[in-house]
Amino acid sequence: MIRQLIYIFIIGAGLTACSSASYIAADADVIAVEGEVATNNTIDSLILPYRSELNKEMEAILCRSEYDFVKGRPNAPLNNWSADALLQFFKDSLNDSEPTMVLLNTGGLRSTINKGDVTLGDIYKLMPFDNEVVMVRLPIDRLEQIADYIKSSGGEPIAGVKYHNGKLLFNESTGSDSFWVITSDYLYNGGDNMSFFQDAENVKYIGVLLRDVFIEVAKAQKTLVYKDEIRIVLE
Amino acid sequence: MKRRDFIRSTALLTGGVLVAPSVLAGRSSIKRNKKITILHTNDTHSNIDPFPENHAKYPGLGGVSRRYELVSQVRDEVENVLLLDAGDIFQGTPYFNRYNGVLEMKVMSRLGYDAATMGNHDFDIGVNGFVNAQESANFPFICSNYDFTNTELYGRTKGYHIIEKGGIKVGVFGLGVQLKGLVPDDKYGETKYLDPIEMAQEYTRILKSSGCDLIICLSHLGYEYASDKISDLKLAESTSDIHLIIGGHTHTFLEKPTEVINKTGNSVLVNQVGWAGVNLGRIDFEIEQKLKKKGSFVLQ
Repeated sequence: MIRQLIYIFIIGAGLTACSSASYIAADADVIAVEGEVATNNTIDSLILPYRSELNKEMEAILCRSEYDFVKGRPNAPLNNWSADALLQFFKDSLNDSEPTMVLLNTGGLRSTINKGDVTLGDIYKLMPFDNEVVMVRLPIDRLEQIADYIKSSGGEPIAGVKYHNGKLLFNESTGSDSFWVITSDYLYNGGDNMSFFQDAENVKYIGVLLRDVFIEVAKAQKTLVYKDEIRIVLE
Repeated sequence: MKRRDFIRSTALLTGGVLVAPSVLAGRSSIKRNKKITILHTNDTHSNIDPFPENHAKYPGLGGVSRRYELVSQVRDEVENVLLLDAGDIFQGTPYFNRYNGVLEMKVMSRLGYDAATMGNHDFDIGVNGFVNAQESANFPFICSNYDFTNTELYGRTKGYHIIEKGGIKVGVFGLGVQLKGLVPDDKYGETKYLDPIEMAQEYTRILKSSGCDLIICLSHLGYEYASDKISDLKLAESTSDIHLIIGGHTHTFLEKPTEVINKTGNSVLVNQVGWAGVNLGRIDFEIEQKLKKKGSFVLQ
């Protein structure tokens, strides 16, 4: 335990009207929770049954990975893999006449998937939040705002589109005046300031967790694969 | 009047807002001063176990077992201790996904928490989910700016809470962040968000008139924003009578509390200890009691 004595000061006498105190002094410390791992029966006996059961479940191997899947900006293997996972998972339910893209947030990918066995616990670390998948229909001109967002953030996981020369272009162009974005309810609800989602024409809550999509896709791939392509080229 | 009292009174009067630390340090042995130690956490996010040794930022840090040990050490060392949390108890490890917050509540109860407020992530499994987990908590949740009328949480939280320890009356109220946009609508249901500054004024008035010596706000508003969004720093400067704001939400690691001057020119402490239980905050308060004879301050 590191105890740093920080400082002493006075909180003024403003509270005297109704209280018995005339002044208040305070010391402050930050106590780092570190050092020898403490074991104490009071807490450990409570946690142990939960931990054992959970660990057993989390150690289940879903697939293998031949690389370290890291996230990054503007492009990274984990960015492409996670965005593609959504496109792959929902491809049968998409309407071909309307263009569809995937947009996630780099910040939302919470951990690397390391080379070797990929366990259920690894995917939980990647996506600990219970974010749900939503499909959002936006007017076609909002594509510019998404492009601006990607430019200013430095890159987010995308699929179905490429960012080039300051513009987002669908891999398969259509003349549609609107498009669908597969994303998370967190982002749709204003998370990470993706304000363009406020102009949604339609929203479908799929009732599937983002993490569950990753789990299913990992299982189906057996060995994790990602498209080694540059999707975002920042000038 | 005795000479000794006269000198003491003089020191007090010249004290006002800014007595030099050395003067104060010299006074700490005065017997009638009352002391209380506040221990606090925020944004523990279901981190029951320490981070793994290969964790990029906080290798091996945290864990509730060690937190228990550290809290016990302080309780052995000083007489009056309060343990408080500023919200976001839920979400962040599979313990939460698997057991829906029940283990977090059991652990905090066993650690002996005196009170907590709700963070946005504490709504992640809906109001009903929180209520189910709360069955395992033996400490109160203080929510002063959420109106839970027409939700299952109605009557299950408190607007304020007064704890008396070692002759000190501590008043606690709790402020939560705007839920819209942060939490899916269906998770918080009909919970209404009320203006934090207005509610702070309302509850400090109640706590002050109840004779509280120390008024603490458990806040999940966030430390500071680039925008004009309400934050702990803004709250501190726009109110009076709060002594300590224990913050959360922004996962801010402060090396020491920030001192803010409030509306009436007095100091407020704003503190926050990061997240995940890697740090435990400690603030020792020493309260100088008024002399019994009110008139004895007047030097004639």
